[in-house]
Amino acid sequence: MSPAEPQPLRKILIVGGGTAGWITAGVLASRYPRRGEEGVSITLIESRQQPPIGVGEGTWPTIRATLKQIGVTETDFLRECDASFKQGSQFVKWVDGGDADAYYHPFTLPAGHEDRNFAPYWLEDPRGQSFADSMCFQTDVCRHALAPKQITTPEFTGLANYAYHLDAGKFGPFLQKHCVEKLGVGHRYDEIVRVESRDTGDISHLVTKSGEVLTADLFIDCSGFSSLLIGKHFAVPFLPKKDVLFIDKAWAVQIPYPTDDDAINSTTMATAQSAGWVWDIGLTTRRGVGYVFSSGHISDEGALEELKNYLGARGNLSRELSFRKIDINSGYRQEFWTRNCVAVGLSAGFLEPLEASAIVMIELSAKSIANLLPSCSGGMRQAARIFNDTFRYRWERIVDFLKLHYVLSRRTDSRFWIDNRARESIPNSLREGLQFWGGHCPWHDDFAHREEVFSSASYQYILYGMGFQTYPAPWLLNDHDRNLAREKMSETAQYAKLLTASLPGNRDLLSKVRRYGFQKI
Amino acid sequence: MVNRVVLNNQIHRDVRIAATRPTRENAEVNAVSVIPREFPRLLAHYPIFFTKNMETGRFEPSALLGFQPQENLFFVDGRWDAAYVPLLIQRQPFSLITRRAEDSDGKPPSLDVALDLSQTVQSHDGERLFLEDGQPTKFLQGITSMLSALVAGAKETYSFTGRLAELSLIEPVQIDIEFVNGSETKLQGLYWIATAALKVLPAAQLAELRDREFLEWMYFQMASVAHVSALVLRKNRLLSGATPARP
Repeated sequence: MSPAEPQPLRKILIVGGGTAGWITAGVLASRYPRRGEEGVSITLIESRQQPPIGVGEGTWPTIRATLKQIGVTETDFLRECDASFKQGSQFVKWVDGGDADAYYHPFTLPAGHEDRNFAPYWLEDPRGQSFADSMCFQTDVCRHALAPKQITTPEFTGLANYAYHLDAGKFGPFLQKHCVEKLGVGHRYDEIVRVESRDTGDISHLVTKSGEVLTADLFIDCSGFSSLLIGKHFAVPFLPKKDVLFIDKAWAVQIPYPTDDDAINSTTMATAQSAGWVWDIGLTTRRGVGYVFSSGHISDEGALEELKNYLGARGNLSRELSFRKIDINSGYRQEFWTRNCVAVGLSAGFLEPLEASAIVMIELSAKSIANLLPSCSGGMRQAARIFNDTFRYRWERIVDFLKLHYVLSRRTDSRFWIDNRARESIPNSLREGLQFWGGHCPWHDDFAHREEVFSSASYQYILYGMGFQTYPAPWLLNDHDRNLAREKMSETAQYAKLLTASLPGNRDLLSKVRRYGFQKI
Repeated sequence: MVNRVVLNNQIHRDVRIAATRPTRENAEVNAVSVIPREFPRLLAHYPIFFTKNMETGRFEPSALLGFQPQENLFFVDGRWDAAYVPLLIQRQPFSLITRRAEDSDGKPPSLDVALDLSQTVQSHDGERLFLEDGQPTKFLQGITSMLSALVAGAKETYSFTGRLAELSLIEPVQIDIEFVNGSETKLQGLYWIATAALKVLPAAQLAELRDREFLEWMYFQMASVAHVSALVLRKNRLLSGATPARP
């Protein structure tokens, strides 16, 4: 028998219609516009179910380019997904748990970070200011709950770097409408009952509950935790990361704003607790709050009690609140692209929500699939290998980066924090990194990839925000850069003053967007 | 401080408004928001661009009057040096005050004419507002029609610029100017008609723009840009009068 003729790869079937499915559909369909029989055809199948109850989800600034690529307007997105501006994270009580213990991880890079590493010069003379405050104007903007832009700023651009908080329950349907109506993505509600293979091991078609047979050249598994294709069909092993990241459960709740003009926070607030941390995300319509915790360190009831204390201390506790329990199974697949099937979203992996890596991983996956998309079946194996290498690397780096937040803590008030610093729970790569950064401030070259999920800037913000000490060798420093660093710091302070005086409040701007919208230019 | 009061034919029966207007405080601006209905008359003197409203971000047409904040090159020696004064300045010190908000059934809000008492415009030999019998004078009638034109004009403006923005027919423009004394300025925050996009606009949309009068307004804007050099000339004249010629 002669080897199989290479088949053109033109038909893509996406299984699952949550955030992952619709982002992937949007990115692919906008990249390969429909051209009748000539082009790439994209179909999405999902089972009819209630949309998830939105607790508020964080994104990374990459989302702006992704939304622009998909072709929606920022105004429609903000209005329809109850979205608000996110300019970074604030970590409260992570270092020593004291009353003054709080630091920012802003989205705007440290001043001059594009081509010079100024961290050593801040370290040698911090002048009583935190790293983020010295090197980034955005902390002041966040402190005052200001917006990253003005109503006159064109859509998707900002005076400070920003992403969004959004209601995931509304985001999927919002993208769906655009994908189906504007981008020509095929869509059906049905359930998969059978997966049929070819001799090669590739999936040949899916059979649905209503009896339809769906063939495709590439199947994208966006089926969430049920992992219909990558898990159930292909049985690709899941690599749990619970020994590194202990968090495995969450209590989530929605909190109404006490008044219509209550300030909307510009950051995700992450407040450390005895066995995890509480997220606090402000949407336009309500706040999403939740406690992610390690069941090995606290009982469900104990965790609920702590969450209620958190809410009570802010005057947000009332009898009407309904708390929802969520299981978190941290880890990812051994591979994500196998044969003619690639997994995106929860089916590929999930880590605790710290630093909001879920949606950015979906965006990166969709973009990567679009970039790697082979023109015929013969290219599938190589595309899969590149994709798997890249994403294995990315998941590993995220695990390292999340763990970093726990390793640097000096809290001793509960086992959770102490156990998090146990040597055997820290990945080798992170241990080696920390050793390196003891004498060298994180820099672009420390990381192997062009598109790092968390860049050297993020490492600098976390390391120095948490009081990590780097001792760079004096002979590697020089007066030229030292003076430049001082200049950048004073420019930063001036710019912070200018912006805090001229930027509107987050809530103000979001209300204006409701009325007037942003201009495209 | 602005001190606006609603006009009343009893209280304000004897009030007179100075004949020479606009006053310095109303004239010292380097741009003024205008309405499309003024374009034909503005076109004789002023460059018209689109600017973004600071409160709403929406585009509105503005007549450019100068290059620095508060520099009005059309206001010379206390007088307006052009045959037509933009309505928004002409109507000073009068404005409209909303008496009640827009009804839910869509009835427009009712408006009262108000006078800004903080402005030093009352004088003995000025224009009267009311006749002996309490009826408005010709002067006040003129003011009232100006004010209603501005209200109607704002509505037209936003359907005009809103549609242009939708069709991507507005684009930013940066103008670099060097004056006679060697000083330079960059005009920023200005927008104009995207002529390249207009040239390839599908016929159906072109017809729509024509039918709604938008097309002629667009051409007025495009033609008015020629006045930028006249404005530079005004500035250069000032500069060469103020600074001694260089050797």
